[in-house]
Amino acid sequence: VKLIQSACSCFRMAVWDLSVTVEDLGADAPPVTLSVTSDLHVGGVILKLVQKTREFDWSDHALWWEQKQKWLLRTAWALEKYGIHADARLVFMPQHKPLKLGLPNGKTVQLRASFSSPVFQTVIGICRMLNIRHPEELSLLRPVEEKRKKKDKDITEELYDLTGVPLSSVSRPSMYNGMPAHFVDSAEMEAVYKMLSVTQPPPAPEVVAKQYRPASVVDKAHINGRWLDSSRSLLQQGIQENDRLWLRFKYHAFYDIEPKYDVVRLTQLYEQARWAILLEDIDCTEEEMMLFGALQYHISKVAQSEPQLLASTAAMDDLESALQSLEVKLEGESSSASEMLDNMTAPELNDYLKIFRPKRLTLKGYKLYWVKFQDTSISYFKSKEESFGEPIQQINLKGCEVAPDVNIAANKFLIRLLIPSPEGMNEVYLRCEDEEQYAQWMAACRLASKGKSLADSSYQSEIQSISSFLAMQKTKSGSHGKTPAADESINTHSLVSPRYHKKYKAKQLTPRILDAYQNVSLLTLTDAIMRFLQIWQSLPDFGLAYVVVRFKGSRKDEVLGIAPNKLIRIDLGVGDVVKTWRYNNMKQWNVNWDIKQMAIEFEGNINIAFSCVTAECRIVHEFIGGYIFMSTRNRENSNTLNEELFHKLTGGHEAL
Amino acid sequence: MDDIDAMFSDLLGEMDLLTQSLGENTEPPHPSLPSTDKEVNFSIGFTDLNESLNELEDNDLDALMNDLMADLNASEEKLAAEIEGLKPTPKADLPQSAPTAPKGPSPSLPHPTPSLPSPASPESGSSRTVTSPASSATSPLPPPQSSKPSMEEIEAQVKADKIKLALEKLKEAKVKKLVVKVMLNDGSSKTLMVDERQNVREVLENMFEKTHCDCNVNWSLCETNHELQLERLFEDHENMVEPLLAWTRDSENQVLFKEMPEKYEVFKNPQNFYLWKKDRKTLKDMKDKDKEILIKENFCGTSIIVPDLEGVLHLKEDGKKSWKQRLFQLRASGIYYVPKGKTKSSRDLVCFVQFDNVNVYYGQDFKSKYKAPTDFCFVLKHPQIQKESQYIKYLCCDDARTMKLWVTGIRIAKYGAALYENFKASEKKAAVNAMFSNRNSPSSSSQSTPSPTIKAKSPSQANGHAPQPSGGTITQDLGDIPPPPPPPSDHTFSHPPPGSGSSPPPPPPLAAKNSIKLHPKHRQPASRSPASPASLDPLPSPPPPPPTEDSSDAPPDFLPPPPPAANFPPPPPSAACFPPPPPLSSMPLPPPPAALDLPPPPPDPSFLPPPLPPQAFTGAGAPPPPPPPPPTAAPPPLGAGPKLAVRSSGSLKKTPPVPPKRTTPSLQGAGGGGGEGGGDGDFMSELMLAMRKKRGNV
Repeated sequence: VKLIQSACSCFRMAVWDLSVTVEDLGADAPPVTLSVTSDLHVGGVILKLVQKTREFDWSDHALWWEQKQKWLLRTAWALEKYGIHADARLVFMPQHKPLKLGLPNGKTVQLRASFSSPVFQTVIGICRMLNIRHPEELSLLRPVEEKRKKKDKDITEELYDLTGVPLSSVSRPSMYNGMPAHFVDSAEMEAVYKMLSVTQPPPAPEVVAKQYRPASVVDKAHINGRWLDSSRSLLQQGIQENDRLWLRFKYHAFYDIEPKYDVVRLTQLYEQARWAILLEDIDCTEEEMMLFGALQYHISKVAQSEPQLLASTAAMDDLESALQSLEVKLEGESSSASEMLDNMTAPELNDYLKIFRPKRLTLKGYKLYWVKFQDTSISYFKSKEESFGEPIQQINLKGCEVAPDVNIAANKFLIRLLIPSPEGMNEVYLRCEDEEQYAQWMAACRLASKGKSLADSSYQSEIQSISSFLAMQKTKSGSHGKTPAADESINTHSLVSPRYHKKYKAKQLTPRILDAYQNVSLLTLTDAIMRFLQIWQSLPDFGLAYVVVRFKGSRKDEVLGIAPNKLIRIDLGVGDVVKTWRYNNMKQWNVNWDIKQMAIEFEGNINIAFSCVTAECRIVHEFIGGYIFMSTRNRENSNTLNEELFHKLTGGHEAL
Repeated sequence: MDDIDAMFSDLLGEMDLLTQSLGENTEPPHPSLPSTDKEVNFSIGFTDLNESLNELEDNDLDALMNDLMADLNASEEKLAAEIEGLKPTPKADLPQSAPTAPKGPSPSLPHPTPSLPSPASPESGSSRTVTSPASSATSPLPPPQSSKPSMEEIEAQVKADKIKLALEKLKEAKVKKLVVKVMLNDGSSKTLMVDERQNVREVLENMFEKTHCDCNVNWSLCETNHELQLERLFEDHENMVEPLLAWTRDSENQVLFKEMPEKYEVFKNPQNFYLWKKDRKTLKDMKDKDKEILIKENFCGTSIIVPDLEGVLHLKEDGKKSWKQRLFQLRASGIYYVPKGKTKSSRDLVCFVQFDNVNVYYGQDFKSKYKAPTDFCFVLKHPQIQKESQYIKYLCCDDARTMKLWVTGIRIAKYGAALYENFKASEKKAAVNAMFSNRNSPSSSSQSTPSPTIKAKSPSQANGHAPQPSGGTITQDLGDIPPPPPPPSDHTFSHPPPGSGSSPPPPPPLAAKNSIKLHPKHRQPASRSPASPASLDPLPSPPPPPPTEDSSDAPPDFLPPPPPAANFPPPPPSAACFPPPPPLSSMPLPPPPAALDLPPPPPDPSFLPPPLPPQAFTGAGAPPPPPPPPPTAAPPPLGAGPKLAVRSSGSLKKTPPVPPKRTTPSLQGAGGGGGEGGGDGDFMSELMLAMRKKRGNV
């Protein structure tokens, strides 16, 4: 029967000409014409095509049907089945093409990405190349056009080129020293890896100020209209070769972060978080901003001073060994015999300082005393000569609050102590003569407030971090802020959002950041990054993606906030959360594509429906489905990504 | 290096001298217990010693004695071990010392074991093992550590180790101990000794053993501040001694042991905190699986999520009697308020307080004290502040629920993951206990053993290990360690003997009203058996002395020679000598320890058995299982010495306070934890259903 059928079809099938543009022949080359019958399968077409053209590596190529914006990836399907006729314009082209990808850290890499697979898979490929785990949390979006002034035009941005990475190494990367082998190939590649895995120095304040900052929830909603559809390919969504896209963490449900394996992931996540803070994409309080600033300062400092980390040769490995050696070092320091010995011989500070106790009703002001710092207490005497007798007073600093009050220009080095006692807090100010003295005493006060003595191993590093912070302020004030002179110093304005540039001068900002800095100054790089991420994640608005919607039956625009675990409805007038729905109460959700309305049913017969204003319904749908997908991940299957489930949850019927 | 060696030997020599001198003093102890107390107390203020002494019940005294003895024993062992390590001395010493350890639960536990004295080799062995682990837990045991730094040259290492050891010892000498009187709900109290390194959890376990309560997760230790009318529950991971040291001398503050359902309420009903805006019915009907999801979301992620709290609270104005309303918001970074005329946007918020340096307290009866709008008040203050001050922040809520929300929210923000860890640990403990008590219930009566012993043994207990007693008030290093031999063999120790012992009056420190007092441990020893060790026990003699001696170390640096110490009569050393009658062997070890976690089988006849089991436990080295809850209290039966009668009666009295055993709750709790997997499945299947529907619709 088969024979007969095929014989029949041969008979019936007329031979017709199919013209195919072969991209690699150049834009001006005429299409290649093939004689085909409708029952020829796609694979056969490709074979004919290849035979007609020169020797070349066609292994990555596939046919693209221009009019239908569709890839012909099923090579076993006959032309007939695809519905292709002589008028079809087909293009034969590589499936992987170069793409300019803006990373969360602001850098751009050029790499070959799949233009034929669903974006979900494309992202998986990209992340594999970049060594980012859990690619399901990331996605691509169209960039916000930057308003470029003419004079900026000449500035060509630095491009990190990864297009040379063989596709085979992407599909099955081998690891070398903990990083994908393709990064070890050359010095340039190593530089790329360094860019990916090391945090960037704080941006110049002007750079931050120049960037677009959303001013309202509605502004913030617009960015979410830019996400690509995970179920369709890049080419289908109009992305062309060498176009620019952004790679961002989209689903803020970060699973299984493991610093050991997640160097790039953590670094990029940190960068995304940092920019979200600097650009006020997420709101925080002033206190929180100062802490973020202090952490950024610390992270950039430690990242620079930990060369192993940057070392190109074996980044990952080095991270680990660096961490280990650090641990050993710490352990050694804290428990070593020599440390204990030190403890016994209790180091102390002795010096003349000016002391002022504002609470005493005296108006005397500062008075010079001989002050002795020992263990966690300070004692003061009238003079050095009397220091062997009873002190005028002894104050234990354990549990006290220490605040700096420094103005280098005015030569003011004040340590404000708030010392608890059963009756309340007593204020005591210590005035130091110079930076050096200040750094020593300040470091001692800080340690003492945490119950640590001068013998603590962190004392020296505490002194150092205080002086380096002071130095930073000094260079700033020295140069009168004209130019961000040397790269050695950081402008504190780089560490906070532009709002605070107006509110505080750099020299006012420094002590505030310094204040926050004292609690984080001893963290390791990884710990500091993790701390930054934790604080970011505990902000009330963390993870909220906004979309302007119109609820069914309502006449005004409102904002829907999509969080990792819930939806919230925000009244634009008040700016308040009006209602919250959690995903785990959700029974079903649907999209009516005709009227572009999304309907969700929750337990307890709660139904909501809304149409989307600032983003397509598809995007909202994918967001919600995506978060539900994220919540299904668990330990057992953490190694395999259930892509099918993802598409089921996010695609709506359209994809199926 | 030579220098170091020299220094080291100097130190050892000094210690020896000190101990010796202490030993001499010991003799006098018995008579005037109170007096000793005074000295001790001195450290922390007490008003009326005698009174407080009187208040203490016999049980307390006994228990204390036990604690102290355990400490001594442990410390002695440790010392022995150290010495062994230091000097190339043969191990032989150790074993011997071990047996000596007579523990001193003297009075209270009348261990039936008359047979005591026999230094049964097995027993001694077991006891030793027990202690040593314990000690290691507490403090870095000297010798073993050497292995770590392999990188260094061995020689240098050895020296370094020696130094370390010496320093370690010196450090130990600095360890403070407090005698704390804990008030129970029924008005009775328990007195226990708390090592400054112990955390609240450890003390709680101690209390569990002393009270034989059901160990459910609600049991808490709280401090009250009488003057400010405040109460705060201690978190399990907190250091126990630190907050107590902030009390003033004349303070009438107390430590309470009671059930506080709000302690872990947030893990039992997370919806009440994280979804508090929902209506009551929704909250009440919350499914377990949804609760689990909430806990997972908020406590198991990369960062702890603080409940989203915002609302109007009344704030007491600085220094005034008036209260004004403000819109407050809780964030992980602190409490903020919205200034007048500003929006609620984060950047306009003004920081009211951050949590690094303050604790949250419940205010009591503030309506009358401060004219608060309601009695649902809470306070934020630095733990050191004990009196009225402008630095105390008073807030008042409209109702009890709001107050619970805020106080719990603040605890979550302040302690974060530690809270959840604490809860899991408590839950586990409760579950084990429940299991244990169920199984044993029948035999429980027999179990009445002296709880203290158990304690001593259990590794977790700091007391047990705390090797070196020290300190009296402020840092007295007095005694470090009386060398009483090792371990725990408390039971074994026959108590009767103590009676016999020269020091009849166990002078446990009593808790004065304040409840807390620092005592130098030594004192205990003294009381215990002044009798010269040697005389009492033949066996032990050899080992103990040497090691112990070093106890008093004296590097000037640390020891601020407290005067009191000087007075101190009780010479620890004596303790050391203490008879090491390791009765254990004699004991019927019915339940031979086999190290099973299982609860000890019902031992024999009523009396003794119970104690043993526990021992077996620890001795076996089974570390993980929490110490079996010492069930009942009825122990007195045995007649051991004369004292017995009295004691028993005492003990009887006490027992009553024992909290009801409720096993069930804990079990449930545990069960609940387990069910996650199921929940997930459910969720998925629902999802699938939903998807199918959707597809259908389309």
